[in-house]
Order: sequence, then C-alpha cells, then structure tokens
Amino acid sequence: MNMTTPIEPREFKIVGKSVKRDDVLEKVTGEAQYTGDIKLPGMLHGKIKRAAIAHARIKSIDVSKALAYPGVKAVLTHETVPRVLHYGSPHPRSASCTKDQYILDDKVRFWGEGVAAVAAISEEIADEALDLIEVEYEALPAVFEPEDAAQPGAPLIHDVGPGGNLVLDPVRVNRGDVDKGFAEADFVLEGTFAGGRPHPAYMEPNVCVADWDGSNKLTFWTSTQTSFMVRGILAEVLGLPLTKVRVLVDHMGGGFGAKQDLFQHEFLCALLAKETRRPVKMEFTRHETFVAGRSRHPCKIWLKQGFKNDGTLVARDMKLVYDSGAYGSHGPGVTIVGTTAATSLYRCENVRLEGRCVYTNTPINGAFRGYGVVQSYYALDIQMDEAAERLGMDPAELKLKNVVRAGDIAPSGHPIIGHGLEICLQHGIDVLDWKALWNRDRTPDPKRPHIRTGWGIGCEMHGSSAYPGIKEQGNATVKVNEDGTVTLLTGAAGLGTGAHTALAQIVAEELGVRFEDVGVIHGDTDVVPWDIGAFASHTTYLVGTAAKMAAGKVRAAVLARAAMKLQVAPEEIDLSEGKVFLIAEPDRCMTVSEAMGPSRGIPAANIVANGTYEPTKSYSFAAHFTEVDVDTETGLVEVKRVVPVHDVGRVIHPIAAQGQIEGGIQQGIGHTLTEDYVIDKKTGRSLNAGLVDYKMPLSMDMPDIETIILEAAPDPGGPWGAKGVGEDPIIAIGPSIANAIHDAIGVRFHHYPITPEDILKALREKGA
Amino acid sequence: MKRMVEFTVNGETREMAVDTCRSLLDALRDDVGLTGTKKGCDVGDCGACTVLIDGEPVNACLVLAVEAEGRSIETVEGLQPGVDTLHPLQDAFMRHGASQCGFCTPGILMMAKKLLDDNPRPTDEDIRFGLSGNICRCTGYTKIFDAIRSAAREMEAARS
Repeated sequence: MNMTTPIEPREFKIVGKSVKRDDVLEKVTGEAQYTGDIKLPGMLHGKIKRAAIAHARIKSIDVSKALAYPGVKAVLTHETVPRVLHYGSPHPRSASCTKDQYILDDKVRFWGEGVAAVAAISEEIADEALDLIEVEYEALPAVFEPEDAAQPGAPLIHDVGPGGNLVLDPVRVNRGDVDKGFAEADFVLEGTFAGGRPHPAYMEPNVCVADWDGSNKLTFWTSTQTSFMVRGILAEVLGLPLTKVRVLVDHMGGGFGAKQDLFQHEFLCALLAKETRRPVKMEFTRHETFVAGRSRHPCKIWLKQGFKNDGTLVARDMKLVYDSGAYGSHGPGVTIVGTTAATSLYRCENVRLEGRCVYTNTPINGAFRGYGVVQSYYALDIQMDEAAERLGMDPAELKLKNVVRAGDIAPSGHPIIGHGLEICLQHGIDVLDWKALWNRDRTPDPKRPHIRTGWGIGCEMHGSSAYPGIKEQGNATVKVNEDGTVTLLTGAAGLGTGAHTALAQIVAEELGVRFEDVGVIHGDTDVVPWDIGAFASHTTYLVGTAAKMAAGKVRAAVLARAAMKLQVAPEEIDLSEGKVFLIAEPDRCMTVSEAMGPSRGIPAANIVANGTYEPTKSYSFAAHFTEVDVDTETGLVEVKRVVPVHDVGRVIHPIAAQGQIEGGIQQGIGHTLTEDYVIDKKTGRSLNAGLVDYKMPLSMDMPDIETIILEAAPDPGGPWGAKGVGEDPIIAIGPSIANAIHDAIGVRFHHYPITPEDILKALREKGA
Repeated sequence: MKRMVEFTVNGETREMAVDTCRSLLDALRDDVGLTGTKKGCDVGDCGACTVLIDGEPVNACLVLAVEAEGRSIETVEGLQPGVDTLHPLQDAFMRHGASQCGFCTPGILMMAKKLLDDNPRPTDEDIRFGLSGNICRCTGYTKIFDAIRSAAREMEAARS
C-alpha cells in the first residue's frame, strides 16, 4: 500500500532542476506539429451544421441541395449515422458517467448543437453547403436555469437518467450529527453563492483529421488529453476492434481539462472520411470552440455553518446545484468531486452535503481545471472570512486554526498526509508579515482617495488523481538502447505542461543516466502503453511513479549485465550519469553503452521493462495571498500582487511547476472578475462566443506573482514524494480576490465574476 | 477568383495564384506550407498569427494574401539566424519557461522581436503594452516577461 511506504532520502542530480524542455525547441522555431498543421493528399474539409434553436425535434432534414453543390462529397444526418448511445466523457474505469449522447440525434438540446455534417474539397465550400441544408424543427419548450429545469412538469431534455432533468441521483455525504452541531454552535452563518460559466479558451481550437486505409483501419489525429479514451469510444461506437483505430496526438495547444470529452465532430470526421474514402479535417472556429466546447459548470450553493466563539467549526450544511448544460459529460464527476470536497479544507466533524447536477438547454459543461472544487471552495473560503469578521478575528488566524491537518480524513476517504495546508498558510503569513498587513492603517491615499486597497487569503487542496471516482492506472515502458541511451514510451498527453520532460527527468534520475540521454516517445496509441489521459493533476504523480518503477527494473537489469561483464557481484557496483562503477573502486567503471553492447561472444542486450502503477490519491495544498485595488469611481478591480504558496511534495521541474501556478492564477483572476460565457436566458443563444467579448486577463492585466513552492508534505504515492500542481492554483485565487475586495470596500460578494457594475451597485447600496 | 501574387517570405520569393479572398494566414499555412504561424481565432482577436510585413506586425488573418504583393514577410520560421543557432528571444523563451502549450508562441515571438527591434531597452510597461494584442492562456505572462527582459539584456550585451 503506497500510503505507508517511506520516502527514501536522496541527493538529486536531475530531479528538482529546471532542465531545458525539449518540446519547447520545436515550439520556438515553429516546427512543432499540431493537429491543425496536418495536410494529407486529397484531404477534404468537414463542417457542422448547427441548430439555431435551443430545444426542438427535427421534423425533416433535406440535404439534396447541399449534396448537389459542386465540391461537396458527403453529407451526414441523424438518418445516416450509426445510432449508438454513448458517453460524453468516456472514462473507461469510471462509475461516474452518463450515457446520453448520440452522434447525431433527431432532437436538438441546445442552441448550436450539430444536426448535420458536410465534407467538401475546401472549407469555404463546406461552409456554403451548410446553408443549403434545410432543417424543419418542431420547437419544444426550453429551460435555461437549473431551478426551472428541476421544477415538476418542466420539459424533459433526456429520456435517460434518473428523471426530473437530473443527470445523476443526488450525491449525499453525511458525517457526524449536523443538527447536534448546530445546537452547540454559538452562532450560525448562512448564505447563497453563485458561480458563472467560465470557458477554458485554450488557444488551439478543437481539431481532428481522420484517414482510413485499405485495410479499413482508421488513423485519427486529434487534439485530445485522452487519446486512449478517444480510441476506445470511437472503436465502440463505430463497431471496430482496437487494432483498427490508431489515435495520434503530438503537440496540442492547451486543454485545461476540457479536451477530455469525445466530441461530436470527432465521430463525424471519422464517418465523413469513411463515407468519402478520403482524409477529412475538421477544425472548430473560435465561435464553435465556445458553443460546442466545454465550460465550467455554473453552480448555485446554499451554505450554512455553525461556529463556536473560539472559532471552532461545529456544523456544515451545504447544498450545491451544478448546471450540466444539455448533456451529462463530466457533470457526474464534477458533482461528486465538488460535493465531497466540501467535507474537507476546513475541519468540521458534522457535515451534511447534497450535490445535484441538472440538465438545461444550454451548451455542454465539462471538465475544467479545478473540477467542481472551484465552486465549493469559493463558498467555504468566503464564509470562513465572514466568520472571522463576526468573531473580530484576523482571517489568517481563523483559517490557520481550522485548516485540515495530517490524519484528517480527506474527501477521498484517506487520511491526509502531512500538514501541507497549515505550512503553506503559515509560510505566507510569515513572508508577508501578514499581521502587520492586516492591522495596517486603511485610510485611503489622499492622492487617490477613490482607490481602496485590500488583502485577502484563499486556501485550497486538490487531489492528484481522480480516485476513488476513477480507478486509475499509470503505465510506462523504458528501454535501454545499445549505445546507452534510453527510450521512455508513455501515453501521457503533452498539453504543454512539460509533463514529458518531468517524466524523462524521473527516468534519468532513477536509472542513473544523463537527462539528455533519455528520449520520450508519446502520442501514438499503436505504440505506447495504455494511458488513462492527462487530467486530475496526476501525470507526474501517476505516470511518474510508473516511469520510476520501469526505470528501476531496467537499472537492475543493466547492473546485472555490467556485473557479469566486470565479473563482480551486482551489489558491488552502482550506476550514475551513464557510468557503471565499482563502489569500492570508482575508477573501475564502464559506460552503459559498454554494458549493453556485444562482447566476447555475448550478444548486445535487449533490456525493456514496464511499470504499472495503480494509485489511490494524494492531496496538494495552497494558500494564496492577494492584494487588490478597487476603484470606487469606475468599479474596476485591479489585482496588484499575488503571493501563492503551494505544497507539491517534491518539485521535479521548478520552472514548469511555477508556470502551472502562474497560468492557473491568470485563469482564476479571469473567472473571478471578468470571464463569463453568457447564454441568453430567453433563447439559449450564446452572447459572447469570441475572444473580444469573452474577457480574459491579458498582459496589461496580470499582477506581480511571487510564486513560492514548498516541499512541505511529500506523498509516498508519488515519485520521491511528488504530487500534482495543475489544478490547484485556479481554486485558491478566486476567494482570495473576493476576500480582498471585502477588505478594500467592506462589501461581500458571493458570486463570480464580480464585475465593475456589481461593485458600483453595491457601493451605491452601501452608501444609501 | 484567383490572382497571381508575389511576395518574399523569410527572404525567399514566392509566386502563387491565390483566391482574392484568401487570407495571408491561410496562404502562408496552406500554400507556402509554413505552419508555424497559428490560427487561434481567424478574426484578429488573439494575435497567434502575428507576422511582420516590411517589419511591421500584423494579424495575418486580417490581411489578404493579395495585399502582400511585393512585400517582405517574416514568420517564426525565419527567426533563427542560422540552422544551428537560435535568436536570443527563442533561447530565452526556452530557458525561462515562456512557452507552455506553444500555440501563442510564434505570434508572441514575432511581436517581441518587433518590440526589441524598435526599443532595445524596454521597460516592464513597454513589454506589457507591446504584448497587449497577444493572448497567452497558459503562462500568466510572467515567464514571457522574464524571457523578453532577459533577451533584451543579452542582445544589448552582444551589441556593446
């Protein structure tokens, strides 16, 4: 059991150093090949006809004019594609999925859903042909808010599922005795919270290329975080064995969680290529990336907590309602993870939680960095500040008193390892001299009396791996070549995080070779070992451990072979920086190449090993300290300074880890202040599906970020204690900003994004 | 309707027949075969397709290929001074972790080149303003600022 294995102490040669990421050389020269860069001989272009209605039954589709249009090679509708009910988020080992999608259906469930697809000799012709497809709809009553969709008698969006527009049965968690806790409380706080619909807005629009060969095998390039899931579900829906589907992904332009669904266009691209017997490319426009992509689940939360006068939390009662949009996608996973997360963060023995996920006639919400927890911890952390205010306490002090510690039961059901959150919080308090900051003179600067400055703290924890919702497995294959170089084969996707570099560092460190001597092969499901996908902050933790296991086996085999050649016992030799040497006599040595090569009748070695790792879970922690300026005349909030303190257990590549934190903070600032993908609540139309109207923080908006990474609570389940870092930063930044705004202007906001209009309205009401 | 057009890309003359409505971005990517320049939005919002035309930065998606007639275009593929050498910006982007997914990188590199060509000693504010038309969604920009500052120092040192 990995939780009890001690972490070996060790001096590192490669781990912990910011070695050059070799994928970046291709990126700065423009040579890196992304799926959209692929051009095959005879390739056609596919486009999707999208419904301009939010809820309807298709009475008829006439494609005759489109088919007759010069240059059009195929048109598909619900009448001509296989009708197979499938998952949107096809995690093969997950119990938390909902089968509710068809490739194309005779029903439309959101404005922008695909109803037909065209392949033509150019994108322009395909686009023009879409206008020639005539669809007759029978409009159905639509619902755009979960509270409307959950009403008795509301129009049903799906026939499957538990009914009442629920995506899954309510998720309930009960611990202790909540009623008794409230009875013992000195005071109770109760509030409602609401999260908007932030969109991941990765820079590379979704894109795929499909090509069938003469043996009826599909080769499929796609920008995905989960290539083996794409392979599995494509094979299942198309009725093919896995040997007949090869999925390829080299570089990809971001995903942030959202590129782990199997999208409608991916099936349609494969089917159009099959129908035409020509390669087909399908590339989303930026507009489609919003409409047909995946956003974070809007969420309404009711939270009631009881406190003692000494700040002890004695009861937590919480109801969460997530808006799934028109399909289940990651709704079940997000609801389970986001709801159970609220058992933790701040200690409370008596907890009653209920999470619901409801279909609405809006674009699909899916996985997105922070996965359900952004919403629930926003509420928990703001209410904790309110409790501090009520108690007349410094919020840092109250949070420090209540944060989870070693041995507390984590949301996954495991005891937490180490005091990661306490150490992060205390570290930030010390570095910033928080007490002095909190007790500072808050009189506005007379030179800019309309500006109010505030400081706030947000805390978070997030699991590396999706256990127990998904029974995870990491795999790696390591081979030693006869020249002493090493090849790592991994199925982990390269979203841009630097995961492949971290994995190569782990292999080099464990095996005892130079980092430059490790090559990484990835992104081809026909070649690399099975992989669950890059999500849940787990690549370094999960695949890293598998790679370390494989490297360890290979190391033992290399040592055994060298011992034979040196005519010593394997225990007498060691391997470091590509050299095998006698421990007692380091000058007696040979290179790995010499150990591997043929000599005196011994043929060259073939050393290959696999590592398979099935982990439970570890938790990473962070506390964010944020300074804002609020302009009371314009309502603008400027985030001026963020000091994020993160515990990641063991840093493999410091610059890459910092990059994850700083990028997560950028997205989190956006979610909290400016970003919201707005759906018209009368028609279901998207109102801001573009990068000008969807406002993200850019170069002029970014604050100074002084990232601090601690190795406070190494987890025995990760390589040398390493844990995840990708999801964490987006969670803590939000409440730190909301709390800082309160510190600045004395107004509590329970929602995001907090817009200038909200600020001005609140200031007017406060003044009145 | 197609028209013949001739322009220079990274020092090489290209002559081709293009649709009059074809964007320079599509012409570069599909007709010239230089896919380093990326399409992030195709409507001038994201800056991923930034190239230099006669030294001036443009969103290649907003320029028609026929408008490039007789002009000189620089793309990310032309940034390396030699086969085995990198532009100081490219090297600094690698060292500082300024590129994560890398999709915005070619556009940002070209914009940064223009920035440093015009202003060898930019202030932090100059760098922020210079990149205000280029969206990066991965890095929070911090490492990009670090890389540009570092490249500016190195280029300055190389000149003196």
